[in-house]
Order: sequence, then structure tokens, then C-alpha cells
Amino acid sequence: MATRLGKGVLAAMAAGLAALASPAGAQPKTEITLARFFGSCEADYGTNTDLSRARGECGVITTLVNKFNAENKEGITVKPQVIEWGPYYQQLTSRIAARDIPAIAVMHTAQIGDFIRARIVEPVDADLKAAGIEPSEFTPNARNGVTVDGKVYALPWDTHSWLWHINVGLFKQAGLVDEAGEPRIPKTVDEMLAQAAQMREKTGKPYAVMATTGSGDTANGARSFYSWLYDQGGSIFPGGFDKADLRTPEALASFSVFEKLAQANAITKGLDQSGAIGTFMNGGAAVWFTGTWRIDDMLAAAAKPGSPLAEGYTVRVFPSLFTKESVWTDNHSWVLLRGGSAKPEVRKAAQTFLKFMWDNNLAWSRAGHLPARAAVLDEYAKLPLRQYVVGIPQIGRSLPHEARRQFGFQAMIGEEIVSVINAGKTAQAAADAAQERSEPLLRGR
Amino acid sequence: MSGAADVLAPGAAARPVAAASAAGVGRPSLLNLLFVLPYVMLMLGLVAVPVGFGLWLSFQDYDMLGGWNGSVGLANYVNLLSDRIFQGAVRNTLLFVAMTVPAFVGLGLFLALALNDGLRRSAVLRSVFFGSSVLSVTVVTLIWRLVYMPERGLLGTVLGAFGLPEVNLVADERLALLSVVIVTLWWIIGLPMTLFLAALQQIPREIYEAAALDNAGRARTLWSITLPSLKRTILLVAVIEAILQFQIFGQVLLITGGGPNNASRPVVQFIYEAGFRDWQLGFAAAASQVLFLLMLLAALGQLWLGRRQDRG
Repeated sequence: MATRLGKGVLAAMAAGLAALASPAGAQPKTEITLARFFGSCEADYGTNTDLSRARGECGVITTLVNKFNAENKEGITVKPQVIEWGPYYQQLTSRIAARDIPAIAVMHTAQIGDFIRARIVEPVDADLKAAGIEPSEFTPNARNGVTVDGKVYALPWDTHSWLWHINVGLFKQAGLVDEAGEPRIPKTVDEMLAQAAQMREKTGKPYAVMATTGSGDTANGARSFYSWLYDQGGSIFPGGFDKADLRTPEALASFSVFEKLAQANAITKGLDQSGAIGTFMNGGAAVWFTGTWRIDDMLAAAAKPGSPLAEGYTVRVFPSLFTKESVWTDNHSWVLLRGGSAKPEVRKAAQTFLKFMWDNNLAWSRAGHLPARAAVLDEYAKLPLRQYVVGIPQIGRSLPHEARRQFGFQAMIGEEIVSVINAGKTAQAAADAAQERSEPLLRGR
Repeated sequence: MSGAADVLAPGAAARPVAAASAAGVGRPSLLNLLFVLPYVMLMLGLVAVPVGFGLWLSFQDYDMLGGWNGSVGLANYVNLLSDRIFQGAVRNTLLFVAMTVPAFVGLGLFLALALNDGLRRSAVLRSVFFGSSVLSVTVVTLIWRLVYMPERGLLGTVLGAFGLPEVNLVADERLALLSVVIVTLWWIIGLPMTLFLAALQQIPREIYEAAALDNAGRARTLWSITLPSLKRTILLVAVIEAILQFQIFGQVLLITGGGPNNASRPVVQFIYEAGFRDWQLGFAAAASQVLFLLMLLAALGQLWLGRRQDRG
């Protein structure tokens, strides 16, 4: 009897506590998971909801999620699952295979084709409509990136591309600026090598810095390779998407640029990402080969008193050294993974979050990327240095969705370029090895 | 007298045994299997089934996301044999094991011999050498990337202080694997050292005292007493380390990425990339079977060598 009474009292207490914890009228909480890269910066932005205070990719995305969690009226909580960029797709794939599927995931549109073919990424036309997002608002580049066979498979988030980040002070010291004090950008490989020799002679510094040893660093070489390949009108699939050809004259010429840079000792060797950032920020090299996503970080670094970039920091679209003007581009996008938001309330919450993100697309592009929303392009162009990159969608190129295993190709080509830079592999040997390695990638796919 | 005791003893013991038999104790019974069933289930579920599934997978075309596309017979193995990246990965792995296992045995034994005393200094040093073993691979590689970093790294700074030219270990095709060997030794030398320390403390002091009475020198004592007494521990350390080092992966991925020019890619990285990056699970499973075979052969070879020495 006493025991039964005790249980009753305990149950009443538990009910009372539960009632206290969820006051009448409060919305039930809906949690959605968000798989992303872009880094982790909880120490700086863990509770920040002020977008004007956020800097760089990590700062902006962390703040956006904080802001959504703090301000949404629907009782939705977004739980970010931050994965390092290098192994992001490997981890995402493993989680999908293990049925631990996030509701929303960031995905490069270069990868989206493989996931659509595996029926992992679902069309989001109905979700966008429900959220009040019109695909007609997408920039043509972004729309192209997320559309396959007339269906929209993701909410585009940006257009990003490959740049030269330039230490103008070192260009000045080397006498490589024009009358207006702007860096002279080479137009041919020979011009670039001549500039590199002059840079070394006048400043003692290498011309270019690029990360080559980290797990995601192979992408750097591949993006440069693709840019120079496209500058020649080349493709790695000249005869269709069932067979790659990495020994075309154009591909070989792209590999050769790295061979010449390495032989001239004009590019750093053996640096990882943090080493490359440190080298450039400390004035250790004149040009950093990296993407649009570093613009805001470098602007912040250059603004610090005593910064080696204080004499001048600027960017240019990865320059053409061949006949055409073209550059590698890709898009970040938000996809809804099959099985990740099966419950109606989760799906609805995901749609609400996507709408919030879409409304804040300009805030994201402050990190450096071009916005995916056409209406804010003019605002974007007014941000510092963006006048140099705003024209990228007109000259940007990427592989079509029909090209399979693009991530594998990027890693493999990048690795061969790393071998050219760090190990002195010849361009011809790199092209031959890349050709051999391309076959298993497409085997039976 | 003893004969009487011999006769009495079995008789005395016979009654309880008979009583136990009557209760069923000691009788072979299938019910007895219940005692080992939990372990057997665990072994089947966590070892036998995955190994069997892996073997089956190695004969299939299995896309991680696309699913099963049918059996391909030996095609995955044939493709592996002609894959130059895989050949390089096998060579690198064997080379890595050949460099690290003797080093673990030699260095572990040296440290154990040097620190096998009751001094406070030795206790501190034992903790220091073991301390790195508790670090995660991420922390270890972060530290060593700072050491190896060109120009501003510790190694470059130290060499520069002595007027020596910088060595870019990570970017040099000939030295990249060595750079990982150094990291691995630094990281987990604590385990072999501890195993040797434990074994050293099992050797009876009387033997050393007898040797001292016979005027045996340090070298003679080491050669004739210590090393023979440690024979089984040396074998244990060699087998454990061989099995562990065949599975080298994290350090390589985070320090060299397998490069440059495939000079440091181990088999596990190849498996990881084939399975998780390129989604070719069947192909990756075939590579896993080859690695399993290599490890099995290495372990069996060492055990066979150990038994042969025992008989000798």
C-alpha cells in the first residue's frame, strides 16, 4: 500500500515537473539535423546571432543557424552536424549507408548527379513551392547547377570559383604593378614564369602558394587544372562520359603548367592548408591559389594593424594563361536526403529552414561566394573586391551532371598534381597515371 | 605405506565423484554449451559473419549507394593485381611494417632496460614515454605537422640553427613513409616498452645474483639471461605490432595523404578510398581480403619462428 502510494506521489511529481517544463501554449519542438562542412567555430560564434559580427564561411553559417534557432516561431531546432571538408562525402555516404541520414545536407552540385542516380537526393520542387521559394529567382549558374532533367534537386546556396589572392605589397616590391598600383596579371605561362623569376629575385619569395598535403588539398590542384583546361576549350570527357581522356594536348598542357612552376621553384611544396594560409598571411608568397570563400577572411586579416597584407590585398579570377577566358566553378547547395525528413513535421521544418536560408543568401555571400539569388547580385557587387569576381558566372564552367564520380576524379587529378609539385613527377607521367587511374573510377558504373 | 595410501585415496574420492555423476555434473551435455553461448554468439556476430560477408562481397559488384549489381567472380581480384596504386599500397605497407616492427622491438626493449629500476627519474620517464600513447591520432598528427612544416616547422628551425639545409620529409617521395614511421614510433612506443618492463620484472633476481657471483659482465648477463628470458615477450610484441602496423591509416591520411606519388599510401587507405570515396565496396572488400591474408601470413610466420626457436 505504502509502495503504491509512493509511486503515485512520484508520478504526480513527474507530471508536475513535465508541466513546468512545457508551459501551456508552447510549440512542441521539432529537431532537424543539418550535415555540413565550412568548419567549426563555436568558440567565436557559439551563441552569436548578430550577422554583422560574423566573418568568414564558418562565422556566417554558425551565426545563421544560431539566429534561426533563436528567432523561428515554429519551435524548430536545427542541429548542425559539422564534418571536416576533406572526408565530408565519405562520411555522409557512410551515414546514408548506415541509415543515419541527416534531414538536410550541404552538397556541391558537382556531386549531386551521383547522389541523384543512387536515388539518395530527391527533387525539391514541391518543397520550394511550399516554402515560397521561386526557382526563377535563382541565378542562371545556380539554377543550372541544381536542375537535372527539368527537376530541381536542391536549394542553391552560392556560386563559388577559383581565384588568385594577391599580396599587392610583394607585387610592388617586385615591380609587377601598373601605373595605378594594380598587380599586372600574366596572360601566358611564360609571362607568369617571368614574373615568378622577378618575384624571387626582388623579394626572395616564391610566386605562388597552394596547399598540397592535407586530406582535402587535392581539390586545389584539380580546380587549377580544370580552370587551365577550360581556358583551352578542353574537357576530360572529350568523347562522352563513359571514358575519360586525360592525355589530350589540353590536359597535358594543364599538367605542364604545374611542372614548370615546380621546376622554376615558383610554387611552395609540402604545405597543408594551415601552412598555406600562414604563408600567405605572413607575406611568405605573392599569390595564393584558393577560392572565393577566403575573401572575407583575408580582408579581415589585411585590416589588422601590422599585417603583411596591409600594403594591399586583392583578388582576381584565376587568370587565363591560354586562348579563352574561363574558370572552374561549382555551387554549394542544400539537399533533402531520402529518408532524412520522412516525417511530415520534419519535412515542414526543413522547408521553413530553407526559406530562412534563402532569405539570408546575401549574408552568406559576404564570406566571398557569389549569391545564388539573382536579386541580391547588385548588393553583392558593392562588397569589397567583389567587382573582380562578380562576372564569374559568365565565364564559369563545370562538368555536367552526366559526368560520374566527379569527386573521385577531383581527388585523383589533384593527387597527380601534388606529385608533380612535391615529387617532381613529369607532366606526361602524371597524365599517363591519371589516365590509368580514371578507368577503375568509371568501371561498371 | 605409500601403497596403502594409493589404494585409500581413490576409494575416498570415489564417493563424491559418484555422487556428482549421479547429479549430472561432469557428464557431457549439450546444455553445457549454454555457458559458452554468449561468447560464441558474439564471435559469430562480430567476427565470423562480417568476415564471411566481406569474403562474399569481394566477389560482387556492390556499389555503396547503388546496391548490388551481381556477382563478378574473381574480377575484383584480377583488377587489384593490375592496379598500380594497389601494388604501391602493398609495397608501402610491407615496407612500413618492416621498418616499424623491428624498431618497436628494439627501441621498446632499450627503453625498458634503461628504465627498469626504482628511481624516481625512471618513473617519470616511463610516464613520459607512455604519455603520447593516450593521445588521439588527430592530436598526434597535428603536433607532427607543425614539426614537419616547411620553413617554420620545428625540424626546419632546428636544422637551420645548425646551418643544415631544410629537409621536407612530407613532400619528398623517398622520405614521406619515413616521416610516418617516426610519428608512429613516437606515438605508441609506450606499449612495447610497458610489455618489456613487465616481462623484465618477472625474471627472478636470483638468476642475476648467481650471474654476478660468476663474474658475468653486463653484456654477458643481457645476452645469456635477459634476452632468453624475454624471448616470448619479444615474439608477443612483434606479433602485436605487426598486426597493428599492417593496419596503418590515420597518420598517413592526416600527414601525407598517401603521397607524394603514392609513396606512402597504405592498403587500408586504398580500401577506404575504394569503398567510401569511389563507392566500390566489392573492390574494396577484395583489397581487404588481401590485407587479411598478408596479416595472417605475417602472424603465422612469426609464431612458427617462435616455436622453432623454442624447440631449438
